[in-house]
Amino acid sequence: MSAENDPAQRVAIGISFGNSYSSIAYTTGEGKAEVIANEDGDRQIPSFLSYVGGEELHGGQAKAQIVRNAKNTVAYFRDFLGQEFKSIDPTAAHQSAHPVQHESTVAFKIQDTEEDKENEVTVADITSRHLKRLRQSASDYLGKQVTAAVVTVPTNFSDAQKSALNKAAKEAGIEVLQFINEPVAAVLAYDARPDAKLADKIVVVADLGGTRSDVAVIASRGGIYTILATVHDYEVTGLKLDQVLMDYFAKEFLKKNKSATDPREDTRGLAKLKLECEAVKKALSIGSSANFSVESLVSGIDFTATINRTRYDLLGNKLFAAFSRLVLHAVEKAQLDPLDVTEIILAGGNAHTPKVAATVGAAFPESTTILAPSTNPSAINPSELPVRGAAIQASLIEEFDLEDIEQSTHPMVTVTPHLSQAIGVLCISGEESSGIFHPIVDAETSLPVRRTAIIATPREGGDVLIKLAEGSRHIKVTKPEPKPKKEKDEDDEDDSDEDDESDEEEELREKTWKVGKILSEAAIRGVKKGGKVEVQINIGADLGVNAIYREVGGKGGVRGIIQGSKAANGSA
Amino acid sequence: PVLPQGWTAEKDFKPIGSLSAANDRNIEPVGHHFLAHARRKRHKRTFSEDDRI
Repeated sequence: MSAENDPAQRVAIGISFGNSYSSIAYTTGEGKAEVIANEDGDRQIPSFLSYVGGEELHGGQAKAQIVRNAKNTVAYFRDFLGQEFKSIDPTAAHQSAHPVQHESTVAFKIQDTEEDKENEVTVADITSRHLKRLRQSASDYLGKQVTAAVVTVPTNFSDAQKSALNKAAKEAGIEVLQFINEPVAAVLAYDARPDAKLADKIVVVADLGGTRSDVAVIASRGGIYTILATVHDYEVTGLKLDQVLMDYFAKEFLKKNKSATDPREDTRGLAKLKLECEAVKKALSIGSSANFSVESLVSGIDFTATINRTRYDLLGNKLFAAFSRLVLHAVEKAQLDPLDVTEIILAGGNAHTPKVAATVGAAFPESTTILAPSTNPSAINPSELPVRGAAIQASLIEEFDLEDIEQSTHPMVTVTPHLSQAIGVLCISGEESSGIFHPIVDAETSLPVRRTAIIATPREGGDVLIKLAEGSRHIKVTKPEPKPKKEKDEDDEDDSDEDDESDEEEELREKTWKVGKILSEAAIRGVKKGGKVEVQINIGADLGVNAIYREVGGKGGVRGIIQGSKAANGSA
Repeated sequence: PVLPQGWTAEKDFKPIGSLSAANDRNIEPVGHHFLAHARRKRHKRTFSEDDRI
């Protein structure tokens, strides 16, 4: 084993590689993820490469070349990697070097040497050069050679794409320790904060990127994540938002300069318009108005204008609404209701736009937390989420052997059973004979699992019967209110409604539980007045349940075992 | 609920049903809780055994 691959000598970072932007991050000694700025001072490094007289420009410098040197500038290439030429959508790359077919893959015809001739450079080579520059920036910052990384990928990235990316990374001197999914990295970035509390929750990660939007619904159960549904869209994008601004300013320009050409019909005019509109969009995320100013936009005419946020919100309205529908669609695809969603994490550069957070937030009940800079002071910069998650994961597995990582990732993940129903106990209700369902373990929790809960007993104490049952969640629509209010109606026909008196988790308040199969009964005798009972349940991968009931402060207790219906799968 | 009169069971515990079939899903191999899970699974340890170590 060479020194490069020795886990002890490894320097690992997190890399988020996007079509529009890439970023790099590392984890400090104290376990805090820090995003690294490149030599231009950019934390969001444009995924652009440009060649001028044989010199390679990268990031922001390359992006600026889109005006004067568009055909030797390569951009928006991530999604071309490991793909067949006919399956790619080259729209985004229209203004830069065009992708061409090269054997079975994709290449760009660019003049990347001092010689006056065009070379066909494959997308794999471009990726590798891009990663090499990222690696260099990180190495310069850290003062030691970076040798390994955890790289984020979209959830629908195929194995062919991953292996192409792995190869390109190797070429760039980076050993990819693991590919992790972008939305999961975003959740990890939040959960790894020291003040974060682990809970069982449904998290939706809505990533509004430049060339694509991805939404993932994730069940987070005690820090273990399961993706329930994903939605990908290539129509509702940040580039479309830029387009909205481009159209607006082009029209304003034509109004003021009646005889001028439309800047959208001039290649350079269009490129300048586009760069400036993206800058305006970013400025509008921070300030309530922004200046648009381009020197010699078209036909030698300078153009300056201003726009306020209200106007932009109006212009982008359709796209914001479409994005919000996309999020709802993903929730539906997971067979959930907006009421089930505890948190929405907005990711991607366009999540900085306050109106995006407002529109998505409006589609969900008030109980849902929207994590975006404009709605939550503790929100993390949406552009940095995936890379922070990757850096955290990199620090966790840095010292493992590659073989170890592979072994404990693949077979481990696929075989985990998840509960199809919530499991809980019946708590006291108005009637003494029946009870209200109090969930202890939510549905979609991976097994094995152990959970403990404390439940109240009848006020007068005495002997208590504890029933363990399955429950399913129902959404009760109380009219005329579109959704059930927090205060419950005492005289409602349905008496198995809200369980707020014993339950502290507010996400359950507006849902109702229907009691399913009863699993077991147990008796606790002689409970003190106002006593509480601690319930601990262990569910094995074989669906066997081991339950322990004990009065808080009391001794002894009752324990019981319910045999699993599924035979334990051997010793495997 | 209150214990009904005459309810008895061996050691005060009476199993009645078993869990509905589980769905097999992929969990994401990310985060230290996953790593702990992987470690338990590879060494075939239970939660309480893991706590003791």
